[in-house]
Amino acid sequence: MIDAPPVLEIEALRVALPEGSDRPLALDGLDLSVRQGEIVCLVGESGSGKSLTAGAVMRLLPEPHVHVAGGSIRFEGRDLLSLTEAEMRALRGDRMAMVFQEPMTALNPQKSVGWQIDEVLRLHARMTRKERRAKVLEILDRVHIPDPDSAYNAYPHQISGGQRQRVMIAMALVLSPRLVIMDEPTTALDVTTQLQILKLIVELQKEDGAGILFITHDFGVVAEIADTVVVLREGEMVERGPAEQVLNHPEHPYTRTLVAAVPGLTPPAAKPVGTAPVVLEAEGLNKTFAARGGFFSGRRKAVMAVKDVSFELRRGETLGVVGESGSGKTTVSRIVTRLVDADSGSVELDGSDLLACSPAEMRLMRRHIQMVFQDPMASLNPRKRVVDLIAQGPIVHGMDREMARARARDLLELVELSPASADRFPHEFSGGQRQRIGIARALALDPRVIVADEPVSALDVSVQAQVLRLLGDLRDRLSLSLLFVTHDLRVAAQLCDRIIVMQRGEVVETGPTAEVFADPAHAYTRQLLSSIPGRDWTPPDLRTDAA
Amino acid sequence: MSVAATGAPADEPGRLAVFWRRYRRNRAALLGLGIFVAVVLMALTAGLVEPDDPLRRAGAPLTAPFTDWATPLGTDQLGRDILAGIFHGARISLLIGVVATLISIAIGVVIGALSGYFGGWVDDVLMRVTDAFQTIPSFVLLLALVAILGSSIEYITLAIGIVSWTAPARMVRAEFMSLRNREFVDAARNLGVGDASLIFREILPNALPPIIVYASVIMALSILLESALAFLGLGDPNYASWGNMIGQGRAVLRTAWHCAAIPGVAIVLTVLSFSLLGEGLNDALNPRQKKT
Repeated sequence: MIDAPPVLEIEALRVALPEGSDRPLALDGLDLSVRQGEIVCLVGESGSGKSLTAGAVMRLLPEPHVHVAGGSIRFEGRDLLSLTEAEMRALRGDRMAMVFQEPMTALNPQKSVGWQIDEVLRLHARMTRKERRAKVLEILDRVHIPDPDSAYNAYPHQISGGQRQRVMIAMALVLSPRLVIMDEPTTALDVTTQLQILKLIVELQKEDGAGILFITHDFGVVAEIADTVVVLREGEMVERGPAEQVLNHPEHPYTRTLVAAVPGLTPPAAKPVGTAPVVLEAEGLNKTFAARGGFFSGRRKAVMAVKDVSFELRRGETLGVVGESGSGKTTVSRIVTRLVDADSGSVELDGSDLLACSPAEMRLMRRHIQMVFQDPMASLNPRKRVVDLIAQGPIVHGMDREMARARARDLLELVELSPASADRFPHEFSGGQRQRIGIARALALDPRVIVADEPVSALDVSVQAQVLRLLGDLRDRLSLSLLFVTHDLRVAAQLCDRIIVMQRGEVVETGPTAEVFADPAHAYTRQLLSSIPGRDWTPPDLRTDAA
Repeated sequence: MSVAATGAPADEPGRLAVFWRRYRRNRAALLGLGIFVAVVLMALTAGLVEPDDPLRRAGAPLTAPFTDWATPLGTDQLGRDILAGIFHGARISLLIGVVATLISIAIGVVIGALSGYFGGWVDDVLMRVTDAFQTIPSFVLLLALVAILGSSIEYITLAIGIVSWTAPARMVRAEFMSLRNREFVDAARNLGVGDASLIFREILPNALPPIIVYASVIMALSILLESALAFLGLGDPNYASWGNMIGQGRAVLRTAWHCAAIPGVAIVLTVLSFSLLGEGLNDALNPRQKKT
């Protein structure tokens, strides 16, 4: 494979950003080559310029604001930068193709799946209608879509997310291109679907021998499929090498930080919390989302989001709720905080049933159970200063304004933010800092229970590690109980003492994290665990100088 | 590394400065602002131009503009000074524009906010009421209201406010429906914040920019509605409003067209200034809608 001729060669590529951006060059001196039959992973955190690399190769940059300022991109020996737009159009889709992150937005919702794949053939191949149809059905079969005939006529919204991504891959591969660029193709997918798609990509690539430039932020995915890894930081290439070496013996300090930040799959030793008092007890929770029918259309089918879910949370304990999208885990977190009303069941917090409280009583009870939300930008009111955001809870519950503000400043210090940032607005902070503000807000009321709904899934991996450490730290210092909702089993393994696994609204397994990970009892748990990308790779212990 | 944020940069421009910088980019909006300021100045200095009564006889009837310096813009068929009428009319037009807009926005915000925030049957009831108002052409409704209430300036203003609240109500409802499910609203509710505070302190400030922009449109529409009423002879005859002047000038349109044309130009410019102003506000308040 090493001797195969390079399909794509990028040399000293520089991409300029418009004036007034945080840095003048989005990419500064990127060298990389993709050989036939090779999977090159381009890894970096958000803002590292990895997606712009794809844009530069496909010549799809938002010019003239963002444009190539230097270097060369050669595809099968031809200099892409000197080609005319017409020549580029002939290449795209035919010799080089791209798969995007979000298949729902990348597919045209107005056209059937078959039509959209057919379009590629109409543009680039001289084939009769019959031949084209046969070819489309063949490629749909190759990406393992069940019943290609009916999929041909289906519209994008009629098939599942994983199948949509299969269609995208089919579209990219239908003409057997020499280069496929994949920009986070599995990030929007559930973990079990992700594994299937990754397997499919490797399988098809073996058959076709195309070169793949795979853009991702997830080291697990890298471990799963990469031959070669290129690490980007703020537009600069910091490390390049064979996957095995970069993953296990990273050399550059930044790569070491990134790899060290990847949560391992070894759960912490179970804490002896069996004797601690139960703080929160949920019993027989049920919730059905009845779709409200229109005036003339009848009632639509109701969705059972949560079916008979019970659990208990002891003081100082972290209970993980894990599951894929649609498993009802977020609904559970919202029932417990009564942001969504349950159909039946009870949630007892220190002996009083939250679900039976009147609205006025509930407002008082809320001080005991607080929440940290998934998207730190969306969960902070953009028109309020940080100090007011944090002080809001205590003020609502009757604390003197000045005292609440003073306390808010102390809390900022507790979550490791500078008190000087108190008078700024949320948009002036980075994602990790915003999530710290969200945590400070939750702590401001001295709650007994904190419900955290995917608190780190919107964050970069290195920031993720810091926020997780902070959460664990605060939990131990303030003896908080944490209900931690996540889809990421690596994250769950880091923080949770016990986990409950949910599938389609039901709890399928519950137990101490270490036991569930070592010996999963339910088939679904086993499937989840075996789908974790890079599960065979244990991040090397590099915690020497890394933060 | 872990103490993440640093102190705020000292020379960071304030919100107003940023707002002004964005607003300034749009030349047409600057023109609108200029005309608007001129109209406000006219309203403020109306007392200096004609201290007594703009409806008194100031010179020979139907004097052409620029012939007699006592009445620079000429006089109408009753010998009233048109310049004085324009200045005092600016007062009336602005007064009607501002008050009617406040009335319509206030009704619209309350109805739209309740409807969008609570949804369900509250939404159904309020929106059917809104539909009922929207099915009647607003000018016809205005005529009916003025016929019932009488055509004093207060009632005209109130009636204009009442006929124009439906559009802002729909807009506020749409804003609230999209904002009420945002996480920051859940976050505030989770702190124990009550419904009223959620509506007015959390959601409304975030829904405000499009409302402010739309207010400028309503202001322009209110002035037009008042002029249209006055043109039909249903305005308040005790005030020199631009619409009244056009309505009376209509009778002598062929012999002394300036009687109708001058207040007409005043209306056109004022309404234009409001819509340019609104566009500028839109650019400045919703910068993400437009690519720079």
